[in-house]
Amino acid sequence: MIFGTASKNERPVRLSESTRQFAYESLHGKYGDEAVSHGAVTLDDVEDFDMLDDYGKYDIAVRRIAEQAPLRITESERVCGAATLGLAIRHVVPATRNGNAVYGSMSHLTCGFDRAVNEGIDEYEKRIDLRLSDTENLDQRQIRFLQSLRNTVASMRIWHKRYLDATKDSRPDLYENLKVVPFSKPRNFHQAVQSLWFCFAFTRLCGNWPGLGRIDEYLGEYLKRDLRDGKITTDEAREILASMFIKGCEWIESDTAPGSGDAQHYQNIVLGGLGPDGIDITNEVTYLVLDIVEELPIGDFPITVRLSKNSPEKLYRRVCEVQRHGGGVVAVYNEELILKAMTDAGYRYSEALRFANDGCWEVQVPGKTYFTYIPFDSLSILQRRVLKKDGKDIEYESFDSLYACFKDELGKTVFDLCSGVQNAWVKDGKWLPKFPMSVVALFEDGCIENARDYGEGGPVYNVVSPHIGGAPDVGNSLYVIDKLCFKEKRLTLKELYQALSDNWQGYEALRQYVTNKLTYYGNDCDESDSYTVRVIDDFAEITHSYHSDEINFVPGVSTFGRQIEWAPVREAVPFGFKKGDILSGNLSPTPGTDAAGATAIIKSYCKSNLVRQTTGAALDIKLFPSSVEGENGLEAMIALIKGFIALGGFFMQTDVVDAETLRAAQENPKEYKTLSVRVSGWNARFVTLNKEWQQMIIERTEQGI
Amino acid sequence: MEKLLVTAIQRFSTHDGPGVRTTVFLKGCPLNCFWCHNPETKDLKNEVLFTPADCIGCMACASVCPSGAHEFENETHILRRDLCMSCMSCVSVCPSSACEAAAAEMTVDEILREVIKDKVFFGDNGGITLSGGEPLIRKEAVELLKAAKDMGLNTTVETCGQVPREILIDALKYTDFFYWDIKDTDSARHKLNTGAGNEKIISNLILADSMGALTAVRCIMVKGVNTDDKNIRGIAKILSDLKNCKAVEFMPYHAFGGSKATLLGLEDNGDKSLIPSDEEMALVKARLAELLKLYGVSNISVL
Ligand code: SF4
Ligand code: SF4
Ligand code: SF4
Repeated sequence: MIFGTASKNERPVRLSESTRQFAYESLHGKYGDEAVSHGAVTLDDVEDFDMLDDYGKYDIAVRRIAEQAPLRITESERVCGAATLGLAIRHVVPATRNGNAVYGSMSHLTCGFDRAVNEGIDEYEKRIDLRLSDTENLDQRQIRFLQSLRNTVASMRIWHKRYLDATKDSRPDLYENLKVVPFSKPRNFHQAVQSLWFCFAFTRLCGNWPGLGRIDEYLGEYLKRDLRDGKITTDEAREILASMFIKGCEWIESDTAPGSGDAQHYQNIVLGGLGPDGIDITNEVTYLVLDIVEELPIGDFPITVRLSKNSPEKLYRRVCEVQRHGGGVVAVYNEELILKAMTDAGYRYSEALRFANDGCWEVQVPGKTYFTYIPFDSLSILQRRVLKKDGKDIEYESFDSLYACFKDELGKTVFDLCSGVQNAWVKDGKWLPKFPMSVVALFEDGCIENARDYGEGGPVYNVVSPHIGGAPDVGNSLYVIDKLCFKEKRLTLKELYQALSDNWQGYEALRQYVTNKLTYYGNDCDESDSYTVRVIDDFAEITHSYHSDEINFVPGVSTFGRQIEWAPVREAVPFGFKKGDILSGNLSPTPGTDAAGATAIIKSYCKSNLVRQTTGAALDIKLFPSSVEGENGLEAMIALIKGFIALGGFFMQTDVVDAETLRAAQENPKEYKTLSVRVSGWNARFVTLNKEWQQMIIERTEQGI
Repeated sequence: MEKLLVTAIQRFSTHDGPGVRTTVFLKGCPLNCFWCHNPETKDLKNEVLFTPADCIGCMACASVCPSGAHEFENETHILRRDLCMSCMSCVSVCPSSACEAAAAEMTVDEILREVIKDKVFFGDNGGITLSGGEPLIRKEAVELLKAAKDMGLNTTVETCGQVPREILIDALKYTDFFYWDIKDTDSARHKLNTGAGNEKIISNLILADSMGALTAVRCIMVKGVNTDDKNIRGIAKILSDLKNCKAVEFMPYHAFGGSKATLLGLEDNGDKSLIPSDEEMALVKARLAELLKLYGVSNISVL
């Protein structure tokens, strides 16, 4: 079988035929369909269910899932365990009462699977028991939470036992490993992978969508030892690891309803970078992971590589070789800048060194962080609270007074968002109850020690990040207003307001002028870029100035595709777009306004002081396969990343794709099932995106970046 | 110093020399190849690119045109190129993209300022590529190369070879690499298809080579025009005399050549029947490789 690629070079073949066949089935929805066919366990027969407290209900749900979820052991798999309940794919705990899921589940976190693998779950049980033995200093909710953690481990044992029984005779290879992990420490690489997969699969079985973090960092030593002792070959190790990746695609369905893309469940992986001793950890596992996603078009594990000017040259090359096949599976972090961003925001350097992400691209310390972000549209602030107030046009004497008003309103918005969260979650210095999240809490440092759930202040770090969206659109709007109405006095604010409220009807010459004759954010033009930069930088300082004892409020930049939802409620903009047009995503230029290519976009983006955007700012770059062909094309891709790092970028995802391919996929979705594109932090199978999404990506592609 | 007419500055060029490059396209060419894929770079003077579909009918152009070249007749807008004096007034007032200049007038410094913007991406190998049209017909192009060299950029020139000897000799000092076209080794046919014989092109190439210029020779293949064995043999012969040529690249004629032709009021001359097939291209390359071997040439790769 052949897996699609955007490159002229075919994907290499390193894996065995049976593993490739397994991948093909998984990627084409075989297991996702199976899961959907038995969506959830039922709690309908539980007596007096409504009398139970929330942990009581949750615990029964988790236990039932462990007892009743179908087992799946496939012929080609090298690691065992499967998240087989379809309702989990809808981001809820797959246990229903009267047809409704009883609890929501968690994503946007990377669990501390590193610790789980290295210590074994038995140790966790001991720690919980130890904490529970000290009941005097615990309140009732804390006790209930610890008991719920205990139930989580017990349920995991039930599920584990079922797999032991099922593999004992038929699959001794799997059985032997399961006898050891995940409850004890792994003795070799294969067991380490099994342990990781089993813990990960269990959290998923219960509906959660965690990231996996730096798997090369915590699996690398096991492989190194085995290779040294001659216990395994690189090829065998690749097969084992590939099995985990393929199994991770078990939630892809063959016929997913169009929407915002299905193919990703925040199961992010971070590769490379500095270890705890400050030495680069890039190792054989790093390269095996890249081998796997180079060979198989797996978009379900978005990978981000921590790169710096000291990273191995080979790693740069391998990253670009994989990127060239398209799908945007591998993105990059500017490690040095991120370490600085985190230490500036108060993390100890040793903690910052551990950074991974929340399962998307917002950086955090894995396994000890509660994270959520609050998105908002800065363009609507400009449109509804600055240019207009209560529906009335507002006049300004100067650009400075207009901007001062914008900054003021931006500040109010950010403070309102932060204090809204603060007040909803914390009262008189105490965390208020949320719903149970014990399954992920088990894997988060701080929760056992503090005897507090994941969402109730348990983890070591509690981070909430206001995310500004639409900043380039605000920047471009401000640029036109300043230039035409104040500096050049080509027209009055009043005239501009009229044109906007008429949605440019009757102002075609002016609209043509602003569309064609001015240069906007994303073209490396200092004059126009400066407005977006100012908005972004002011936003960061405002957010940093908000203080809370319990929660770290830190800034970030994203839209994650919300520019599509926002489009219908936004007004026409001064730079020529009409009501309903889809504008900028993340910190990327507004579609159609960037004409100078990838290097110019990177330069414009890097002009902001990104070190202040603590959780990150994403840039999407799309390249045509033709521009990165051959050895020189590869060198050029490497040069792009190096330039991005030298200029102070944060996070960049590169996609190699051509418009023709995309249009063909739009017309024949069946033939392009596995074609995946990276859209703002995650990968989606192109054919599962709705029309507008598809159109937006095609348009961006056509600009011939 | 005169300004240069720049039709485009293309950043992140990955096919015009090593590494990431910025390619500067200069307007004006001494040849007139019928297959030219950059018609807007041929003419020495600036021209109006006219896209009637983008015209919103505001008639601003007509009101500034000194020669009455913009005519409006029952809803249709016609640009009378026979009247146009290339003053570019219409371009400066047109609000849409209906009237655009084929080139921008820029000083060497202005061009350099654009090019240097990507310095961080150039690395050790990347830099500037001059293309066209034909860059080496103006001495300002040499100034540009010199200034780029002074800034530590790698410099590459794409030339058709039909250039004044003094400019070429000057340019050699500041150019790291040349892409050099040999369009046909049959001079009469060359004259028929490009408007000039090939003598100067070949003697310039031999001169540049003797002065140490590193080159890759580029040969466009137009089916039924210059794909005959005699031409391939001629190419092999010339290559065998060169000491510093690194590669020869065969490029198939492509029919979307006239993409901008219609905007210039020219006929779109893309002709699909002139495109050689992949097999024909492979045969040509194989034949050349065979001949080079025969001549004992081992330092030139055939691409
Ligand atoms: S030499 Fe090049 S630019 Fe000049 S006419 Fe021929 S193809 Fe066109
Ligand atoms: S370039 Fe000058 S002369 Fe030619 S059409 Fe435009 S305004 Fe008229
Ligand atoms: S100025 Fe431009 S838009 Fe107006 S009529 Fe002339 S070509 Fe058309």
